[in-house]
Amino acid sequence: MNGKRNIFSAAWPPLLVFLAATALAEVLVRLFQVPIFLLPPPSAVLRFIADHPADLLTSLSITAEAALIGFFASALVGILLAIALSASNLVRRAFYPYAVFFQTVPIVAIAPLLMIWCGPGLTAVAISAFVVSVFPVIANTLAGLLSTDPALEDLFRLNGASAWSRLWKLRFPSATPNIVTGLRIAAGLAVIGTVVGEFLVGLLGTAEGLGVRIISAKKMGRTDELFADVLMASLLGLAMFAAVNLAGRLLLRHWHASEREETS
Amino acid sequence: MRLRWKRLIILVLAIAPAALLTTHADSQNISPVTLTLDWKPEPEFGGFYAGQIIGSFARHGLAADIQPAGEGADTWQLVATGKTDFATTAADQVLIARRSGADVIAFFTVYQTFPQGIMVHKSRGFTGIRDVFAHPGVLLAEDNSWLHYLEAKFGTPVVKIAGYDGGIADFLARPDYSQQCFVTSEPILATHQGSDPQTFLIADEGFNPYTTVVICKGDLWRNDPDRVKAMAAACREGWRAYLDDPAAANAAMHALNSDMDAQTFTEAAAAQKPLIETDQTKSAGLGTMAAQRWDDLAKQLTDLGVIDSTVKGEDCFVNP
Repeated sequence: MNGKRNIFSAAWPPLLVFLAATALAEVLVRLFQVPIFLLPPPSAVLRFIADHPADLLTSLSITAEAALIGFFASALVGILLAIALSASNLVRRAFYPYAVFFQTVPIVAIAPLLMIWCGPGLTAVAISAFVVSVFPVIANTLAGLLSTDPALEDLFRLNGASAWSRLWKLRFPSATPNIVTGLRIAAGLAVIGTVVGEFLVGLLGTAEGLGVRIISAKKMGRTDELFADVLMASLLGLAMFAAVNLAGRLLLRHWHASEREETS
Repeated sequence: MRLRWKRLIILVLAIAPAALLTTHADSQNISPVTLTLDWKPEPEFGGFYAGQIIGSFARHGLAADIQPAGEGADTWQLVATGKTDFATTAADQVLIARRSGADVIAFFTVYQTFPQGIMVHKSRGFTGIRDVFAHPGVLLAEDNSWLHYLEAKFGTPVVKIAGYDGGIADFLARPDYSQQCFVTSEPILATHQGSDPQTFLIADEGFNPYTTVVICKGDLWRNDPDRVKAMAAACREGWRAYLDDPAAANAAMHALNSDMDAQTFTEAAAAQKPLIETDQTKSAGLGTMAAQRWDDLAKQLTDLGVIDSTVKGEDCFVNP
């Protein structure tokens, strides 16, 4: 309806907090003469962004590419795996513990393997993003698939619906809100997985992503650049989160309570 | 009997004040200090551990607590924020620290020659770092001043450059991989593992910062130069002892760092000797530094855009 006004009314409180916090940081850093290696004034970070927009955008696009590949791989593989796990109790009991185990393996530990299997660069970084972000998709999708209304299950069964149509017409739609929740979490994690992956197996030089720039900026004592890089990574995570949110809303708004317009 | 008791009492009374005085003096003169290393206990720090063993710190009124570190906080930040009294780092990091508003200065250097090198597989037939940059494959290296220098010197590299994680596993596994190394460490490890390493020194390409320099706050030097002089003297004595006979310190470090085997400790200590003791140190003393070297480095880093021209080499060091 009045989408513009909605966006504005949603945006102004966090924007106000951001502006106030930035202004406060600027004042405090200047007042107490905090050395730049401890905390750069926000103005220095903004100046860095203004002076190096092309470099930052290039790195942002490289990080975004890996994060998006990792995210979509997580979405696809996560949902398919969850469907497979939901198919039978035995399969679930046999494989689910490994999915949990997979989640607890620190990416730092498997990075050397990624390096040897794929070499440094996009593939290894995207796999890192995938590994970090796939589990919430599996867990949430599975929870959704398993919590279908039993009465509706009975109804389908009584009417002789096939396993396929039960999955496709009943379980999957009723799991959609859970899937969207899983994807929301995965969107943020994919960015984290990418940045950490770049720390470990990213390429330096002309094709360096934000994670590589962060390490480099730290090594060179450039905190203004470091904060600018972190800001870019956060914006990427935020954008991906917002995109999933929007997609979920468009998908669910006509029928699901969680995304219906508030009536007040 | 009574006489003996009297004598004993007199003796005690006579000794007690002296004893009290001594303990008092000890607690006043021996000050605890922390020395934070920028890596794990390895031969590049041997002289500091040797100093502890031969008591050179205590001789100069210091009780040194040596703290190894891994990747993480840069040690100059720990010094600048007062988290540690002394730390080791590389000369380029001192210039970067000063550009970032951290008042730290170097007062002792372990290496006269930059021990950082590029390790390649001999089978590739390379003759220098230029070849590494001009051929496909992977170079594992930290994004560091010397890498910027090499990129500026050799142009856009053909080799893919990726971060260095501190180990040699990838190098061992892949024949087309090269990596950064301390000539005193990784090539020896790689040889032991049956690989065919060949090493090119970065110093030979014209980038030669003092390395494993000991730093402190500039304030400490200005307000308490005796403390800095004592630390420098203790380090010098420790390094003298280590260069003469590294065995005891190697054993102490091996106990703290079992990743490096005893054989490697011995070989590395021998390999690094010519980088530490030179004709210059034989006349001027172990660990001393030349102003010209600091100025050259400052100019190189300014040209690379790593620091600006306000940072002067002469402000970065003292020879106490």
